[in-house]
Amino acid sequence: MPANQAALPTDILEQRSHRDARHERLFRWLLKGCALIVLAALLGAAGATLWGGREAFSTFGWHFLVSSAWDPGNDVYGALVPVYGTIATSFIALLIAVPVSFGIAVYLSEVAPTWLRTPVASAIELLAGIPSIIYGMWGLFVFAPFFANHIKPWLTNNLGNKPDDGKLSWVAEHVPFVGKLFGSDYPFGASILVAGIVLAIMIIPFISSVMREVFQTVPTRLKESAYALGSSTWEVSWDIVLPYTRSAVIGGIFLGLGRALGETMAVTFVLGNAMQLSASLLDPGTSIASTIANQFSEASGLQKSSLMALAFLLFVVTFIVLLIARLMLRQLARKEGR
Amino acid sequence: MTDSALATNPASAVATSAVAPKLTVRDLHFYYNGFHALKGINMDIPEKKVTAIIGPSGCGKSTLLRIFNRIYAIYPKLEAKGEVVLDGDNILDPSYSMNRLRSKVGMVFQKPVPFPMTIFENVAYGIRHHEKLSKSDMEARVEQALRSAALWDEVKDKLKQNALGLSGGQQQRLCIARAIALKPEVLLLDEPTSALDPIATGRIEQLVEELKSEFTIVIVTHNMQQAARCSDLTAFMYMGELIEFDQTEKIFTKPGKKQTEDYITGRFG
Repeated sequence: MPANQAALPTDILEQRSHRDARHERLFRWLLKGCALIVLAALLGAAGATLWGGREAFSTFGWHFLVSSAWDPGNDVYGALVPVYGTIATSFIALLIAVPVSFGIAVYLSEVAPTWLRTPVASAIELLAGIPSIIYGMWGLFVFAPFFANHIKPWLTNNLGNKPDDGKLSWVAEHVPFVGKLFGSDYPFGASILVAGIVLAIMIIPFISSVMREVFQTVPTRLKESAYALGSSTWEVSWDIVLPYTRSAVIGGIFLGLGRALGETMAVTFVLGNAMQLSASLLDPGTSIASTIANQFSEASGLQKSSLMALAFLLFVVTFIVLLIARLMLRQLARKEGR
Repeated sequence: MTDSALATNPASAVATSAVAPKLTVRDLHFYYNGFHALKGINMDIPEKKVTAIIGPSGCGKSTLLRIFNRIYAIYPKLEAKGEVVLDGDNILDPSYSMNRLRSKVGMVFQKPVPFPMTIFENVAYGIRHHEKLSKSDMEARVEQALRSAALWDEVKDKLKQNALGLSGGQQQRLCIARAIALKPEVLLLDEPTSALDPIATGRIEQLVEELKSEFTIVIVTHNMQQAARCSDLTAFMYMGELIEFDQTEKIFTKPGKKQTEDYITGRFG
């Protein structure tokens, strides 16, 4: 059979090429549109909060960032207390959640017997789905009282600079900052530390399930190579698995951090909502999200604008945190010779 | 090398040369999840020779190799029964230290899998686990290992670069360098060239030839020509059994068993 007999007529092929090119163009535009929606939403939200906060920014200028005043009576507002509360609670949450999540993920991907892996992994995913108000209620009714009765007295007496009997412990006297961090005469549980702990419990499911999933993508032969050189499970996890999955792990941590920074209900319940700046982690404080939630319904004028400005600052804080993460990643990559 | 060393008892076809065995396998059985994967293997692997293990997929050749450094033990539900004696001690005895075993028996896997670190760190990593060396001693050890793996000239100017930037063949030689950096006595190669192109394969085979003056090498391969080219002895396995184990030349010219002959002439497998 001659070759040209098998081929389709040229005009049909031409037509099909045109149609394909048209579809391809449409498809690309569609994809681009999807990606642009994200960008538009981000810019829109940032722009709207900046616009809403323009009155506060123009009235207080840079003072808005460094002032700890929040006085609706005299119409004077500053963002320092809520910004500090947001960063401090999220930082404590990460400090607790990251190592615990790493432990969970390594256990589930490297150590646990096979029959245990799936149920525990599903349980973690269920935990991630619990609404934050439930964590807040648990924090308020169960954990905060328990903390106030059992943990806080020990902390203030053994680490803090305001112990019940007035005698400073060795740590409070000799280690800088620790005394201030744990000194408090506030009688209740709700505090920066309790909010940080409740946040940690909330974000552990997120971080650990991301870690577990990416740990499972590490090639078996890579891990076996390390075992074959004599490495222990700890060494394989720390030296091989973690560097191999590093950017995904950091992504997971920032997913959790994002949730911690913006968390409203759970934090509002256990943070004490006090507009006061205290060095102590055991004193109540407030965060950006909970300040907004608490005051928005009755705010107007300059106070409303200040709340908008706070919302904009939450964007800025998140952006800076992400930037730091990028820089850290680049630093690590340089160390590995990439 | 004499053909008269060929054992008359085929069950323990220990047809090796006069050299004392480095590894002695005695009545070795292996089970995973109840599946009987190795059925009574007996063989003597001589010192400073290249021993190839060939056979069709699923015959248990990789399984056998993975017992020699007990890498299988990182997984649950795998069980080896019998003895593998290395220098007089049974490595399957739970009291045999894993660190001792892994420093005496090195392993290289099918695919080149460099660690996510620099080239230098890839080689230094294993050494650090076993020994505390000064910076200059470590540099000397790494250089020596890279030279032995015929990689030094290609990487000496980029030791601080990431190992993933190397070609597949270079990565595999890096994996060999990483294994021999621990100064093991036995080197296990599990289909080391299955992911490489013919030129890179040739370099690895040449390297195997050079390394056998220092190490006892056991290589698993699905490539019969490779076994013929670079081994002194060849073991043919089929369905979890050792069918024949003899001088490579003899296996490929006048095999003692019908099954071996069928396999090497390409009638199955």
